[in-house]
Amino acid sequence: MPQVLAMILAGGRVGELDVLTFYRPKSVLPYGGLYRVIDFPMSNPMHSDIENVGILSQYRPFELISHIANGEPWDMTGRHRQAVILPPFQGRGSSDWYKGTADAVYQNTDFIRMCDPEIVVVLSGDHIYRMDYRRLIEFHLEKNADLTVAFTKVAPEASSRFGLAFIEDEDPRGGRVTQYREKPRNSNLEWASLTIYVFRTELLITVLEENAANSSHEFGKDIIPMLMEKHRVYGYRHSGYWGYTRTIEEYFRTSMDILGERPRLDIRSWQLRTNMADRSIRDRPPPFIGPSASIEDTFFHCGCTIKGRVARSILFPGVTVEEGAVVEDSILFFDSTVLGGTEIRRAIADTGCVMSERCRIGDAGNDLAVIGMGTVIPEGVSIRGGVTVHPKLKADAFSKKEYSRGEVVQ
Amino acid sequence: MKGPAAILLAGGVGSRLNILVRHRAKPAVPFGGIYRIIDFTLSNIGNSEMTSVAVLTQYKPLSLMDHIGDGSSWDLSGRSRSVKIFPPKTGEEDWDWYRGTADAVRQNISFVMSAKSDEIMILSGDHVYHMDYRRMVSFHRQKKARVTIATIPVPWEETHQFGTAITDGNSRIVQWEEKSPRARSNLASMGIYVFDRKYLIGLLTESKEDDFGHHIIPRALEENVVYAYPFDGYWRDVGTVQAYWDANMDLLDPSSGIDPGAWRTMTNINAGGPPFDRPPVLVSSGARVERSIVSPGCTVEGHVENCVLSPGVTVERGASVRDSIIMHDCRIGEGARVERSIIDKEVVVGARTTVGIGDPKTINRTHPEHLYSGLTVVGKRVVIPAGISVGTNCIIDPMLGAEAFPREVESGMTVTGK
Repeated sequence: MPQVLAMILAGGRVGELDVLTFYRPKSVLPYGGLYRVIDFPMSNPMHSDIENVGILSQYRPFELISHIANGEPWDMTGRHRQAVILPPFQGRGSSDWYKGTADAVYQNTDFIRMCDPEIVVVLSGDHIYRMDYRRLIEFHLEKNADLTVAFTKVAPEASSRFGLAFIEDEDPRGGRVTQYREKPRNSNLEWASLTIYVFRTELLITVLEENAANSSHEFGKDIIPMLMEKHRVYGYRHSGYWGYTRTIEEYFRTSMDILGERPRLDIRSWQLRTNMADRSIRDRPPPFIGPSASIEDTFFHCGCTIKGRVARSILFPGVTVEEGAVVEDSILFFDSTVLGGTEIRRAIADTGCVMSERCRIGDAGNDLAVIGMGTVIPEGVSIRGGVTVHPKLKADAFSKKEYSRGEVVQ
Repeated sequence: MKGPAAILLAGGVGSRLNILVRHRAKPAVPFGGIYRIIDFTLSNIGNSEMTSVAVLTQYKPLSLMDHIGDGSSWDLSGRSRSVKIFPPKTGEEDWDWYRGTADAVRQNISFVMSAKSDEIMILSGDHVYHMDYRRMVSFHRQKKARVTIATIPVPWEETHQFGTAITDGNSRIVQWEEKSPRARSNLASMGIYVFDRKYLIGLLTESKEDDFGHHIIPRALEENVVYAYPFDGYWRDVGTVQAYWDANMDLLDPSSGIDPGAWRTMTNINAGGPPFDRPPVLVSSGARVERSIVSPGCTVEGHVENCVLSPGVTVERGASVRDSIIMHDCRIGEGARVERSIIDKEVVVGARTTVGIGDPKTINRTHPEHLYSGLTVVGKRVVIPAGISVGTNCIIDPMLGAEAFPREVESGMTVTGK
């Protein structure tokens, strides 16, 4: 296996994730009852023997920095191993915020040269999937490709959100990409880009330098089409689970994929690692289940206390569900508390929320109720589905007893 | 260096824990789901902001050394913080196994000599409790003591197992009785000592006596410099199968006083585990879990009531586990029933098999002093075949395969495979 460097694009805030990304980039969004989304693109390199990772970040990076720490959770410490966060920096010229995915990597060519890998794999920090990049790199080398992009099959109705390609059938693993369209409105192309790119280092730097003079700097929109003209662009077919988390509904659906009798995503078999020191997960006592608890089809972890009823839900470390409380079809982030008499259905509550006694949060309808980080919902308040509650609100922010669909509490 | 240097005596065999200490020293016995017994003392040290610890090992130290690692789990690693593990070493004459607690410290006197603190704490890794040692050290200084012993009132019928102190109105110990059959005080030593460092060096170099309780303390007492530090919180010597089971069950009773969360008890979650982080617990639909601790990585499809489950345990559909302690990565097969049992790591209980069900009055034949109260203990990595029954007060030796079992293991039997 050649020397490989992984560059993870982890910086963005996504507007559609709304209150969930007010204080964190989407890559550290909690996922699966223990993890952060970035644990997937961190665990995949670890399982693929890739020991050097650069993480590009520019939006509110604090949670990301403390989560990645020194890379030790993914075994990326030692004399020849590293996981480094690469923030934007002030250049000699103009303001140097990353101006796109390709620009972010371009601005770190020094780092790439310092690591001196033969192969650079560019990954995105917000997808839920498992892939052995060694197979992908093998494919790339075998085909003597200049660029290899990983693709997955998507339903036609979702296609306008992705870069779509036609892949020739030369090999069960994939083949030459003969057509590529970035987020087309109508298309019968069925392979969607996972935004996983494999380059030889020298070619990557050459194309990034060439692209730097242009006004747009995106791998999907600019780099792939540019290489399609004169170079060998290959598509690698990924057939396992692939989940995305770009809107609140997608995040919720992708999360719920881990539950059920035959879950679409068997996350517990994926041998994931996270930073157990982050939010002191490792120092919390094991979960305690009270005498009158009722639990079904639910994930929970250390520091949880469950005394009420919980069904089809995901509870992150430190969540407390008091006696007489009901939580169904919901996701509660770290250290949230549900007090007695309160019922939660189809809701997401961010870290450190308190749902006081006799509240109604969410309902059986389609729209989710979303509560921002650290908010305290006062006693007896009803927050229907489709309501968004901003972070860090105290009781005085709630002037009414009931909020209905479309309302935003701030 | 912050706080006194500590010497942690972790060599204890703990033989009354029977097969739970077949492969590990007592301090390394798993406890409360994710902990080991020694975590309580190490966490007290870390939470008391002490920074220098020597752990003296002797008996089967491997899993203990693995668990302690570099000490970082208890914030005991860094430029000015350390845990050093001292195995017994060859002396000038021959292989000098520790002959007692004082002997163990004497053989490592260089650690005491080079410590930069005025006091030395001597602790054991055998007990479950929470104590801020800083308070005990302040007490020691305030009393101008040379030696301070932490003490706790114990039931009178247990005094013969302890060193007991008779104190004056100023907490000074005026008389000391070591494991007396007719003790005149129920104020028992917890095996936690603060010594003035130089005084300790003097005591240990002037004599060749082996034991703190039997020899060293009585000698210091003659100089009227020994004080009793009163402690009245939760404290258990989990040295017997019954006491071990009781203390684990205390975790399920919020009024018992044991609370590792509030105590900020820390552990090494990685040692001995899989090369990934234990995933969240999954309780599937149709399962029932009541009044239990269920650690990360567990999968519960059956019924769990009044249990402490360590990480990675699977309870399959239709299985029922009650009043039991199940350690790491055990699998309780479909339709199996387990009651009042302590099951060591990586055991498989076959489908429809029952364990721990029988007449509690039939006490164990080979170890009547260990198993007499209706508990069954199953050793590490045993495979109990499907469709058999194992009674109560039974001992199943570690590592036995399915072929070692008769159709019925009657209550009181020990299965050794021989």
